[in-house]
Amino acid sequence: MSEEIRKENEKSYCVFGIGEREFLLPKESVVQILDITRIFPIPGAPEYIVGALPVRGKIIPAVDLAKVYNVERLSYSDNKLLVIEVKGERIGILSDITPFFVSFEPDFVVEDFIDPEKLFEKLKIDSQKSNEKGNAK
Amino acid sequence: MLSNSELIKYFLIEAEDYLNTLIEGVEELESRDFNKDTVEALFRATHTLKGSASIVKLDKITTLSHKLEDFFEALLNDQIEYNASFLYYVKKVINAIVNLVNEVAETGQEKSEIDNDLIKTIDAIFVTKQLPSPEIIAEPFEILPVVNTVRIDLGLVENIITSLGEILVQKNTIADKERELVDIIEEISNSGKRLLKEINDFSEIYWFTSQEKGQKVLDSFFTDFSDLQFDRYEEYHIVLRKIQEITNDITEGIKTLANFSENLSFLFKSIGREINYLKDSLIEVRMIPAGKLLQRLAEAAKDIAESLGKLVDIEIKGAEIKLDKPIFDGLYEPIIHIIRNALQHGIELPEERIKKGKEKVGHIKIAVYKEGKNVNIRIKDDGKGIDIDKVKEIALEKGLISEERLPYISKEEMLSYIFAPGFSTSEEVDFQSGRGMGLNIVKTAISKLKGTIEVFSEIDKETDFVIKIPQSLSVSNLLVFRSSNLEYAIPLNYVEEVLSVDDFPELLKDRSFTHKNRNIPIKIFSEIFYPMNGKNITGGYVIILNFSGIRKGLVVEDIIGHEETTIHSFGKFLEGLRQYLGYYIASKGNPRYVVDPLKIFEEEFMFAAAKDRILETVLYLGSVLVVDDSISVRKALQNTLETKKIRVYTARDGYEALDILEKKAVDLIITDLEMPGMHGYELINRLRSDSRFKDLPIVVLTSRGTKKHEEKAISLGADGYIVKPFDDQTISNILSKFDITKNTIY
Repeated sequence: MSEEIRKENEKSYCVFGIGEREFLLPKESVVQILDITRIFPIPGAPEYIVGALPVRGKIIPAVDLAKVYNVERLSYSDNKLLVIEVKGERIGILSDITPFFVSFEPDFVVEDFIDPEKLFEKLKIDSQKSNEKGNAK
Repeated sequence: MLSNSELIKYFLIEAEDYLNTLIEGVEELESRDFNKDTVEALFRATHTLKGSASIVKLDKITTLSHKLEDFFEALLNDQIEYNASFLYYVKKVINAIVNLVNEVAETGQEKSEIDNDLIKTIDAIFVTKQLPSPEIIAEPFEILPVVNTVRIDLGLVENIITSLGEILVQKNTIADKERELVDIIEEISNSGKRLLKEINDFSEIYWFTSQEKGQKVLDSFFTDFSDLQFDRYEEYHIVLRKIQEITNDITEGIKTLANFSENLSFLFKSIGREINYLKDSLIEVRMIPAGKLLQRLAEAAKDIAESLGKLVDIEIKGAEIKLDKPIFDGLYEPIIHIIRNALQHGIELPEERIKKGKEKVGHIKIAVYKEGKNVNIRIKDDGKGIDIDKVKEIALEKGLISEERLPYISKEEMLSYIFAPGFSTSEEVDFQSGRGMGLNIVKTAISKLKGTIEVFSEIDKETDFVIKIPQSLSVSNLLVFRSSNLEYAIPLNYVEEVLSVDDFPELLKDRSFTHKNRNIPIKIFSEIFYPMNGKNITGGYVIILNFSGIRKGLVVEDIIGHEETTIHSFGKFLEGLRQYLGYYIASKGNPRYVVDPLKIFEEEFMFAAAKDRILETVLYLGSVLVVDDSISVRKALQNTLETKKIRVYTARDGYEALDILEKKAVDLIITDLEMPGMHGYELINRLRSDSRFKDLPIVVLTSRGTKKHEEKAISLGADGYIVKPFDDQTISNILSKFDITKNTIY
């Protein structure tokens, strides 16, 4: 990838997979790709937050988009955690494949593109949701 | 009035600041020549110094500062021309003040006399408006600094404290590793000893047995001796001997290793001590003496008393105790609120006090003192006290407590209900403290500082508020426990005691127990945090938490210990997890979630507030519990029902539904059949077999339209069966069928 001569204005994406589907994220928001050693569940968190991965004294919440987009997951083995940074915070996204990078011409319309900020807003646990949960208790 | 010695302490802290400003200003004038801004700053500093000194009646300092002030003023008004000799006199006066301040710090009094010649010279300058020619030798500042101080940006200290927090975590990791090392060495040393013993035993038994079997030894060590001088050895013996030697070497090695690790442990321990020391001193760097706060409070209290026509003597104690900056900033409001209450509702008018046989002048005592890792603030007045019967009456009326629980509530616990939201014993409305006493605001403010507040009172004698606050907010003391293979922590300042569940056999069944004459309700941690997990807890520990005098018990499976650490916040993405205060990473690398005890027992505290709102806005006609795993169904039903003035509770499955039924009065249940956790059939079955709920109307709302499902639901005890989707009319029909809208529950 890095050996290819890239055209100036190409846009780069990171591709990751859930089940048989693939999604794209802007390359700039990707921080690192981690092997999942052990995820610690966070009781009280919504189902799509499968847990927390401790990394250097902090935790990174691990999000399973299969539960968000209703995708059938094939196997749980060999998961990677794609860590992205949105609004100054790190969030991990489970990927069934080892994520890789691709580039397209800027006018190429990519499908299954995920806007990290929108994802953040959609998935963050706000007090509204927790109130809803609080009522349910 | 404040006692003079307390005030002097406060003055000294302040004087140090002003004198530093003065010295810095003069030094600036010296190096950069005349500068109006600097002179203005000097003028302001001397003015304030004069004011403060006069309050504490330090007359000499007052006189000298006054002179200095006039001097600067004259310069600012261009009455005198600035030249280098000006600073000579300024320095002389400053030195005299420093001298006096030092005397006051040591003895509490001004000892030396004012240098009258100096005063006269200065006065002469005022008259002649002429400074002496600048040939006078420069006067050095006396090396008599009041206290050695450096001014430093608070942000810098914050940074250091943050990294120190990280170091503390690392220190805990090292401590754990060190324990592991000791274990490993012990294991090796035991194995070594066993090896040595085995070899010795072995050689003792076999040493002589194989001697006769031919095969001479060729090793020169042995062959150099004649047969008479030495036993005949075979290769076998040599190997044996060599193994013995090696084993001895290993044993020696292990001994050395053990010594080494002992030394290392010792070093770890001393570095640990140093880090703790460093932490304590660093935290102190950021701290501000309580004196400044007490002074402000006392001044404000005097003004309030005056406006109310009450005579009061305010005593302050503990001006020297230091407080963390955020705590210092956060304490004024809640304390002044308490004082305002004490003055308004506590301290009687002079005539009334005389009638009661009390002193004409009321007393308010504000004391700050240290207790372990906490700073306590006590505000005590000798006024009316709190009428406990009135408190009981209001608590009952507002539904804060039920009639049944009344006999179990101790006097002190009853008093603590004055902190409940919406509570007020005073009928008066006054514009300053708002409606009634509003002590809930005080409690909220104190909670924000991770503190607790308790009240003690004796009618017509005194009211005593005790605020307990951790001395530092950046490092938290936590009690660590385990539940379902995860580790949690809870702030130690809420924890009063930890008891074994085994000592109270009825505790789990009764959901409460009696300890030290108090009936303490309990909650089981795993039930709240793992509602889906139906596993029953059988043993464990009950952590007794003290919420401003109200005690609650939290049952956990296992206690791990105590830890001092820095808590990280969950960040924006997870901020909705309000049951946690944050987390930290334990030395083994696993996260520990820090639980907010207030949130666990929230319903009990918030109940009153919620109910209060209901009283003000609408009267509900009935209450319905909606059980459905789909949020859209829950919301739709909730909307429909709420427009019909129905109080709606929602649950995602049978377990949550049962949980709600334990706490809330419900007139009707509308439940789905298929749900994760506990499904609808199971829920109906459980409710029908519980005598309390056997007549509670249950309506099934499902997408399963087949007769088979309906028959099964009805046979289990459902009273109605609706197939989704539903409309407004369907719901109205159900409500009228079960007479829900005719009830009035609030």
